[in-house]
Amino acid sequence: MSENLLEIKNIDVTFKTRHGILKAIDNLSLSVNKGEILGLVGESGAGKSMTGAAILGLIDPPGRLSSGQIWYKGQRIDQAPETIRGHEISMIFQDPLVSLNPLRRIGDQLVETILTHMPITKYEAIERARKGLEEVGIDPERINAYPHTFSGGMRQRVVIALALAPEPALIIADEPTTALDVSVQAQILDLLKRLCRERGTSIILVTHDMGVIAETTDRVGVLYAGRLAEIGDTRDILTNPKHPYTKGLVASTPRIDASSFDKTLYQISGSMPKLDAMPCGCAFHPRCEFVLDKCRSDIPSIIANRAACWLLDKEESLL
Amino acid sequence: MSFVVAKNLTRNYDLSDPLIVRALTMRPKRILTAVDDVNFSIEKGTTYALVGESGSGKSTIAKMAVGLLKPSVGTLIVDGKNLNDPALAREDQLALRRRIQMVFQSPYASLNPRWRVGDIIAEPIKAFCLIDGIKAQSMRVSELLEQVGLAPSDATKYPHEFSGGQRQRISIARALSSQPEVIVCDEPTSALDVSVQAQVLNLLKALQKEYALTYLFITHDLAVVSTMANKIGVLNKGRLVEEQSPAGLFSRPQQDYTKMLLNAAPSINFD
Repeated sequence: MSENLLEIKNIDVTFKTRHGILKAIDNLSLSVNKGEILGLVGESGAGKSMTGAAILGLIDPPGRLSSGQIWYKGQRIDQAPETIRGHEISMIFQDPLVSLNPLRRIGDQLVETILTHMPITKYEAIERARKGLEEVGIDPERINAYPHTFSGGMRQRVVIALALAPEPALIIADEPTTALDVSVQAQILDLLKRLCRERGTSIILVTHDMGVIAETTDRVGVLYAGRLAEIGDTRDILTNPKHPYTKGLVASTPRIDASSFDKTLYQISGSMPKLDAMPCGCAFHPRCEFVLDKCRSDIPSIIANRAACWLLDKEESLL
Repeated sequence: MSFVVAKNLTRNYDLSDPLIVRALTMRPKRILTAVDDVNFSIEKGTTYALVGESGSGKSTIAKMAVGLLKPSVGTLIVDGKNLNDPALAREDQLALRRRIQMVFQSPYASLNPRWRVGDIIAEPIKAFCLIDGIKAQSMRVSELLEQVGLAPSDATKYPHEFSGGQRQRISIARALSSQPEVIVCDEPTSALDVSVQAQVLNLLKALQKEYALTYLFITHDLAVVSTMANKIGVLNKGRLVEEQSPAGLFSRPQQDYTKMLLNAAPSINFD
């Protein structure tokens, strides 16, 4: 594998509330290699989007990055993310309906973004904007159109063109296709994959859809209650999950399969703990089928570069 | 005859400019046909899934099925009775409505945030005058809550105290409270996480077995209905383009549109 583009080391994101200090992200470490698509998957509230926001320094008070470090190209960026935000790392938000300014032409929005990040003339910026639109499959002649004249899928393409305009090395895509139809979703994911291949751009793809993970990503991190449960190659994780939570997620995903009719779907009982009522030890232990005594008292860290689960520790010691 | 029959179901929306504007610009009326001559039938105790993308007319059909919208042309027949028969007496109409209930897409928008869960679930019981006496009503509410996997004590709480999956359980309990025979589910799991989605789907299936419920299941996700549907109808721009059992549809799709939908659905299988 090539060098690390981004490295997150033991970050905590905490919120000070009247219920005390809540940890939305707890001791999270992960890295993104150059040119790879890293998936982040988990249930709502698992900390997927918060991780993206932490990298860009977009966490709103009362939340804050209370400890840990974020390194980008060998440079520490957690104190001053503004120097790289937008220029080196850009973000694609979930809802294309709200992430474009409805009162301004898409061309103006693109040119503004380009001029903010690049020392070029306005004329050159317009040329770039046209090229950017062409690249995401939009007719450059529509540069003077307003966002409302585009459909949801086309609008998301505009948002992608915006994110790509300053030629970032890393894109954080936060549920980029959740609001879209499956056929449009397939087009957008293909587009992201192609850009990644052609330009060597890395992507962090945040999603809750295991199917999207399987089709798009090279590696995937599974988040549960603000902690990393499992990380590894996508194929490995989906075909041979180690953490009981990942196993449950994979098994409960319905498949398009003629033989699945009238079968009961696997279900993980219960629900994710609230941040103000986190259980001791492993956050997943109240829902886990294979729970050990140790799980109730000690928080597991990532074992064997794979999963944060004491079962793996047991397996290792048996070998 | 099948339990639920849709006959030439059509719904038009008038998108025309106001009359005076049309008179000045000499433009004709603009009519959008959201649902166009749709025919299907559902046997008692089975699930019929309608699949399609946004704008295909799925939700319009769901609304017509529960009587929230009137069809422009065509009829819906439930147990041999025409749902939209103007000659039907009000009592008969109410009796028919009681037998059809709906579970809506968003559990965040479909529960009144100012009502206690017990009142939400008891509303159909009161509206249809099914059970007399407050005590008997609250007994029934407790029973319903237990059926959907919640605690009887939850009746005094408000919707905001529950997670998305639990709220959808409340919606299901409300739908069950009038002892319906048909439940229209309009994307009941699209706002939920996969693990919670599995819980809700399994609950719906268990309830179907217990009460011989007939489901009209509206969704955009073919995978979701693979375990539920006895028959799948594929909608494209208001028209029913294909109708098959899931086994047939997944292995031998006939229409290009269906093939496109199947190919585009992200799959977790590696092959």
